[in-house]
Amino acid sequence: MKSRRNFLKQSMLGAGSMALTPGLFAANPKGKAPKRFIFIHKGNGLLPDTLVPSTLKGAELEKEKRKEAFEVSLKNHELPEWMGALSEHKENMTILQGLSGKMCTTGHHTWQSSLGVYKANERLSSIKWATVDFELAKLFPSSLEHIELACFPSGGGNSRGNINGIEKGFSARGPQQPNYAFGSPKVAIEELFKSVLSDKESKIQYQLERRLLEFAATSEGAMAEELRGIEKAKVKNYSDSIENIRERNRKMDAMSDVIRKHAPRLDDKYFADDLNTVDRQIGHAEIALSTLISGMTNVVTLTADELGTIYTGVTDIEKENVNLHDVGHGKPVGQFEALQVREKVRRHHMSLIDRLVSRLKSVPEDGGTMFDNTMLLYFPDNGETHHSKGTEWPFIVMSGKNAKLDIAGKYIRLPHYGKEGHKTLGNWYTSILNAYGNPVEHYGAIDTGLAHMDQKGAIKQFLG
Amino acid sequence: MTVFGLPVGASGAEALLENYCYSCHDEWEQKGNLQLDVLDTLPLESRLGVLNKVQEQLYFGQMPPKKKKKQPTVAERSEMLAWVAAELKKHDASTLEDKLRYPNFGNHVSHEKLFSGEIDEKPFTPARRWLVSPQIFIERINAVFGLEGGARQSSFYGVTVPVILPDHSGVRYYDTTTLDGGHLLMMLTNADWISKKQLREARVKNGEIKFNEFPNPKDKWTPRSTPEAFEVIVTKESSPAEAEMIAAIHTQYQCVLQRAASKSELERHLRLLKESISLAGNTEGLRQMLVSVLLKSEFMYRYEFGAGEEDEYGRRKLSPREASYAIAYALSDRNPDAELVKAAGEGRLNSREDYRREVIRILKDQSSFAGPGAPEVSGKGLSSHRVTHPKVNRFFREFFGYPNMTKVFKDTKRSGGFYSNAGRGTAGTSGHVIDEADKIVDHILRQDQNVFEQLLTTDEYFVYHTRPNEQTAAIIDRWREAYEVLKDEPWRDDPESVSLKHEELLKNNLGLKVPQQKKGKGRHDNTLVRLMGYFETTFGRGTTPYTNPPWAHGFRHQYSEIYNLAPIPGTRGKDTGQKGWDFQVQQPFKIPNRKGILTHPAWLLAHSQNTETDPVRRGKWIREKLLAGYVPDVPITVDAQIPEDPHRTLRERLDEVTSPQECWKCHVHMNPLGLTFEMFDDFGRFRTEEALEHPENLIKSGDGKSSASVYKTKPLKVNGFLEGTGNPALDGEVRDAYDLIDRLAKSRRVRQSIIRHAFRYFMGRNELISDSQTLIDAEAAYVKNGGSFKMVIVSLLTSDSFIYRKETQSSQ
Repeated sequence: MKSRRNFLKQSMLGAGSMALTPGLFAANPKGKAPKRFIFIHKGNGLLPDTLVPSTLKGAELEKEKRKEAFEVSLKNHELPEWMGALSEHKENMTILQGLSGKMCTTGHHTWQSSLGVYKANERLSSIKWATVDFELAKLFPSSLEHIELACFPSGGGNSRGNINGIEKGFSARGPQQPNYAFGSPKVAIEELFKSVLSDKESKIQYQLERRLLEFAATSEGAMAEELRGIEKAKVKNYSDSIENIRERNRKMDAMSDVIRKHAPRLDDKYFADDLNTVDRQIGHAEIALSTLISGMTNVVTLTADELGTIYTGVTDIEKENVNLHDVGHGKPVGQFEALQVREKVRRHHMSLIDRLVSRLKSVPEDGGTMFDNTMLLYFPDNGETHHSKGTEWPFIVMSGKNAKLDIAGKYIRLPHYGKEGHKTLGNWYTSILNAYGNPVEHYGAIDTGLAHMDQKGAIKQFLG
Repeated sequence: MTVFGLPVGASGAEALLENYCYSCHDEWEQKGNLQLDVLDTLPLESRLGVLNKVQEQLYFGQMPPKKKKKQPTVAERSEMLAWVAAELKKHDASTLEDKLRYPNFGNHVSHEKLFSGEIDEKPFTPARRWLVSPQIFIERINAVFGLEGGARQSSFYGVTVPVILPDHSGVRYYDTTTLDGGHLLMMLTNADWISKKQLREARVKNGEIKFNEFPNPKDKWTPRSTPEAFEVIVTKESSPAEAEMIAAIHTQYQCVLQRAASKSELERHLRLLKESISLAGNTEGLRQMLVSVLLKSEFMYRYEFGAGEEDEYGRRKLSPREASYAIAYALSDRNPDAELVKAAGEGRLNSREDYRREVIRILKDQSSFAGPGAPEVSGKGLSSHRVTHPKVNRFFREFFGYPNMTKVFKDTKRSGGFYSNAGRGTAGTSGHVIDEADKIVDHILRQDQNVFEQLLTTDEYFVYHTRPNEQTAAIIDRWREAYEVLKDEPWRDDPESVSLKHEELLKNNLGLKVPQQKKGKGRHDNTLVRLMGYFETTFGRGTTPYTNPPWAHGFRHQYSEIYNLAPIPGTRGKDTGQKGWDFQVQQPFKIPNRKGILTHPAWLLAHSQNTETDPVRRGKWIREKLLAGYVPDVPITVDAQIPEDPHRTLRERLDEVTSPQECWKCHVHMNPLGLTFEMFDDFGRFRTEEALEHPENLIKSGDGKSSASVYKTKPLKVNGFLEGTGNPALDGEVRDAYDLIDRLAKSRRVRQSIIRHAFRYFMGRNELISDSQTLIDAEAAYVKNGGSFKMVIVSLLTSDSFIYRKETQSSQ
């Protein structure tokens, strides 16, 4: 590990002179920068009441209490105290309330539900289609297509096994195809930045992998050459795919200067196996930034936590192993009530978002900043609370000025579940997909409980 | 002479085109912007595009348009088709041939012709690679590790099955899939994990890792040993000798592909192995070689190319080795068993008799191939029943498609709370009901008499059948005896003294400890008070109690209403004092208002919408699966929606929306069949009236947990019309689904249609016209043996279609 640290230190040396320009896209003609998306989801629900601006008054407060539709500009309001870290970015922020997600699995664990808008469970057959982040990644292709990082649960029914490994994640590439997520910053760096790692072991692994792929591509390619018709396709598709990976590797090699320049700047502690949850999240955020800024990917999905994630390192209770399930059931931790613990967790999430947004705002792109072309969504994986029903599904959205949805700077409450004009998670994702170039009529399963309503399509008022 | 402006020999094609095509598509008129007499002026690509369209239109009988009086004869159509096909073949550009390989085109081969007896072409299967099924894939991983018997795993922690089958009903596992990038990504991860596990024990021996050291604490499974040839290299201090490397390569070929490496393979792998070892040392270098073999496409394919001399029809028999795999995979998911390997090795897998001997041997074997019949329903509170040949039963599961019930989500509240959806760790109510449908299929397959007719018309079902009948009977006898003795004792007020007085009875008949207290036991434990209370609501009302009492941990049997059977007392809210369902000890048992699998709730729900029934899909299923018919896909311009209307039944609304001529021309083939099933609601319950579920029709609101909302109802029409059996005595107006099913069960065409699907299942492809003799023989085997499905299998697996391979345009 020492040599890896050396590499990182070396890359740190350049940090001072590290021109804050994304090497790949600096040369892009104006307006051609890709759009980027960051999805951050959390377990244990997101309590809708906690997202209401404290300065909401009068008729609007009444509407909020009755969960009736309205919207106000955030400019005129104070954010809830725990969102303080984002107060600098109010003009980019949307607090979106009133969506529902009863067509998703709700309750404790939800697998791909909140990103795919269907009832996912532990069976792969429950994955009906690609999750929305993958659909967006298709619209803005990149070498790695999509990166998923996760603070995996280690306990509970949704346990993913090795929390430091590469395991089945919460996104899906397509029907019955779970995505794989990096569980620790260390394993993510080893995989994603291997082409620029300078320690011997990594270099050898890198060479072995290249040789193996070359071997496989040659063997299968030679076999395909001798075939024709359908039988040829049966082998050629496969050998072509191996060739595609090699091509991707070549592209990554060509980018290695850029990748090296933007490789995450992490202290040693982020490489420890017993990393606490809060540091793990910070490490993941840094990797997300590196891969986005270097242009390796345009879409990153981060599981900030899941109900089974044993939380460690939370401010004021650093020494505690916080069991989110117990917190969901109202159990206090140390001297803090459950609601206070929830707030501490969210407060840290806000600092992560600030880290991401601020950094992207510091990277020039296209005459503006990289953040201009970025949209970040923060939301619960299961709806409104611990034992959720999915009647509410709050979102915090951060979007740059080139965003294609007209929602920034607002607190928006949509009509409540079952009321006229009510909108679902499916409508919300449909809006995003439509706005960014996927004309899908409706993304997501429908809610059998809303059979009497027209549930399909985008949320028109968001499309500007 | 030219056709379409292209030169042809002295064929009659020119005259035919003149007669049937040019009147709309020539220099005077170009309907659909198509002019056929100037094709030679088009660039090749466009010309082939047009020819492909022409071929499809002719093949599917869509041109000349039906309304044209002047239609070509069958022979004329064939002649035109032959010419177009020949033209396309010159450029290897026919797309029709590829299309016809897919499941939804299976019925396009003329049914009448197939069974006419006039075809004398010799059957064969095109030489092919056939991608493994998900089940075979897992068994191949078992084989890599050399796992046998009880050591075999149904899943591996680090292995994701890269193969996905479509989830439509009907045969799903075809030879049409090609390996692609998706498979590759998963195989890279899989191969990495497998190779590490293969070497683990040797590394432990070598002191590289401790025996209890696992990189992932959740992944501790490990094969018992590392193959010796690998261990030699891992434990060697110096670089391995060439002979050792060669032995390792052969060993990995044996583990993964069950064969030795060829000379050229050996050379190439040896080169890689040497390089990797010099780069990364023995262990990691060796591992690269292991991965390189695991990544071979051959690991993912079944090879069926035939070997030896071609016969006079250009066909070659499967090689004995190929035959051993073909037979093994037809009847199970595993690689050939020892007997098959032996037979192949000794040259005893060549003749039809050899095939017959092995097929019958495997079918007779009651234990070696046994496994869960419905593995996907296993979960909390339910594990699938076992069957002797899961692969055989799977045909009917896929054909009927009832396991798709799991995929349909229902609003639990609408059911009044009895229905639970699939969720975490459980397939919900659907898991139980699918398992119950499977049991009927298995019951009928075990009897193996008039299998198709029985499946369609049986009135016997399994419900809550969690134990063998004898065990259930014994429990009920003990319970009844105890109830009779204790019912007049003060068990409710003074369980302690009652229990002391009847200590033996409590222990022997009820499995209770003595003394019994009034309270103080866990909520799932049996107590005297609980059991006697349960008996009072069952024996006490003249019914038999279900052997799992409602407080049992993980109790999920609250769905008897799906069969129109009353709930077990205590399972659906407070006891109402009503008689519950009289639990049946002897199963299967008769249930009123049901007839066969098509009225089983599993089939009905699998073919239903979230909140409604689905007459169109049910009709399509019958048309395609039982009548060997064909309904075109919904045109993309059609937004298929049934309008809402709180005053009309689904049938009335459907009739309205499908009545326009352009809709009806297809719906006529579906609606009159599917609408007969309106006698069941969308939860699969028999009904005589349809509830008009709309707020304005609400009579009484239910709580959604133990009661459903009650709505105004409207009488149902469930009559329909059957055409397409080819038998005037069966075709015609039908009263209801039962009448329809009875007629279908009597239809020869239905029998033939099921056999066609069985053919597809065992051959992994659509039938060709040249498979005619195989199908005729299979039908004869069924009839001659009293409706034995086993004999259909034997017939199919000893047919020329199964034994012979032929190089075709599409294979090499």
